[in-house]
Amino acid sequence: MTAPVDRALAADPAGPSRGRRRTADGLWVVVPPLLVAVAGLAAWEAVVTLGRVAPFVLPAPSAIGEQFTRNLDTIIKTGLASGTNALVGLVLGTIVALLAAMAAAQSRFLADASVPVAAALNALPIIALAPILNNMFSATSNIPRRLVVAIVVFFPVFINTLRGLREVDPVHRELMDSYAASGVAFTRLVRLPGALPFVFTGLRQASSLAVIAAVVSEYFGGLQDGLGSRITSAAANTAYPRAWAFVLGACVLGLVFYLIALLLERLATPWRSR
Amino acid sequence: MRKRLLMSAVLAASLALTGCGTADQGSPAPGGSGGLTPVKLQLQWFVQAQFAGFLAAVDQGFYREQGLDVQILEGGVDIVPQTVLAQGQADYAIAWVPKALASREQGAGITQVAQVFQRSGTYQVSFASSNIKAPADLRGKKVGNWGFGNEFELFAAMTKAGLDPGRDVTLVQQQFDMQALLAGDIDAAQAMSYNEYAQLLEARNPRTGQLYQPSDFTVLDWNTVGTAMLQDAVWASTDRLTDPAYQDTTVKFLAGTVRGWAFCRDNAEKCRDIVVAKGSKLGASHQLWQMNEVNKLIWPSASRAGLIDEAAWNATVDLAMTTRNQDGQTVLTTRPEGTAYTNEFIQKALDSLAGAGTDVVGAGFTPATVTLTEGGA
Repeated sequence: MTAPVDRALAADPAGPSRGRRRTADGLWVVVPPLLVAVAGLAAWEAVVTLGRVAPFVLPAPSAIGEQFTRNLDTIIKTGLASGTNALVGLVLGTIVALLAAMAAAQSRFLADASVPVAAALNALPIIALAPILNNMFSATSNIPRRLVVAIVVFFPVFINTLRGLREVDPVHRELMDSYAASGVAFTRLVRLPGALPFVFTGLRQASSLAVIAAVVSEYFGGLQDGLGSRITSAAANTAYPRAWAFVLGACVLGLVFYLIALLLERLATPWRSR
Repeated sequence: MRKRLLMSAVLAASLALTGCGTADQGSPAPGGSGGLTPVKLQLQWFVQAQFAGFLAAVDQGFYREQGLDVQILEGGVDIVPQTVLAQGQADYAIAWVPKALASREQGAGITQVAQVFQRSGTYQVSFASSNIKAPADLRGKKVGNWGFGNEFELFAAMTKAGLDPGRDVTLVQQQFDMQALLAGDIDAAQAMSYNEYAQLLEARNPRTGQLYQPSDFTVLDWNTVGTAMLQDAVWASTDRLTDPAYQDTTVKFLAGTVRGWAFCRDNAEKCRDIVVAKGSKLGASHQLWQMNEVNKLIWPSASRAGLIDEAAWNATVDLAMTTRNQDGQTVLTTRPEGTAYTNEFIQKALDSLAGAGTDVVGAGFTPATVTLTEGGA
């Protein structure tokens, strides 16, 4: 027997792995990024102050931080609006992608034919999608934005799930064959559990994309209730520190989505990380 | 060693940034081209009759007579003219007063040297059937606005009428067209008298089969509501205004500009042709309408064209400091410091024109009636 290789991990080195979560090591996971972030912010602040860079060119982190605290209520309120759009779109896009992947995995021909189509869909820029959807549905509803998110997240979930469904360990297949298991049982016991890590890899990639898509799709009209509308209006008013504060809000929202996806992954595939 | 590396990195980065828009901007030396001083003017939007006076001054050689070679830089959705000017990529810029003052507050070294439009051209338009006859009627309605700092007259009017813009209306980000109003997505739409309002009258009414008529709409005009703010103005670089050569160029540029606008007042159709030839997005009938409406914003100009009216300017600053948007933000947080505007150069320019016999008051100006065609062709 060769050493067992976590194939999902090999495909996605950023995924959770065995032995990476001992508390002693925990500190070493957190400290270096924090140091880099602090040093980076300090350098930024120094450049702006020493170089006498005008705020309308590049605001100082301190100015952004001040605006962030001052506008925290608005950032939370608009973040919830954008976050809701991202979440609804993410759930919708994921469900459709899962169903499509299951359908496509039924035959080699379907799988081979569907990947280029999905890739073409993935290549559609938001800048083209959003206005079209805004014209198709009422611009004052959240439907266009949620559809943009759904379309954007479809691809990573679909591709990863499809890969997971099509990759079955030959040992597992032989074992099930020796039990004379039916196709349904095979899918339920081997295929789906085997594909789970892949599904969550796709979901993790899609989670940050969902937030980006939700925010960017607000640039093309519709309700002024989200982070995107605040970023553009602050930037147009040359209130760049405020614009950056809302961008920071969008970053935080994206991180929250990412961490939740990561947590779900841990919960759903406990065997990958003890 | 490491520390030294970091320090030199910081220094290198700050030096690199110094090249693009520091708080202390040097002035590029003017180079001559055929004896003419090259001047770059940054517009705030696409080429259209809104800027006809500048285009006409180039076309008719008014700038050339002043010894200037003026190059006009077209604007767009995400071009902020006043920061283009502040970063030294243009010599003058056209920008709305409140927006440019907001950039000034953020460190852009710019000074207003002329006021092109004496009146505001912004409307809030709704279908007559919606019965929105005053700002107070916007309560509970879906109110479109462009954002990008173009919405503060509307917010001022709603505030004045006792509405909370964040709570009493549904705010909708409007595209720069009238589709959302025509499709019934929104109840009231922001429109410039000289542009989007005409686009409404160039659209076919599906019920009558004819073009929409002015009687189909109700217009809220901020000039009558009393929340108008100053719009198109000419901005110059504050630091360079200490340089005698740039001062001289500014006077000449403004003299040529006022002549251009006077020419368009008296030759609206010729100016329409100049604008269309320059490649305006919409067609001839639309540009003639726009020319006529823009002339209404400038002429007659009792105190002479281009002069900055102190009372109107202060009213604009007061509104910019007190009007809160849905998040409670204002355009300006402090009263503009230093030389935010000066009439010195436009005064000299007007004096130089007085001798040349250019009518800079336009007392006899009467607007024309323009017939629009479908799609503004």
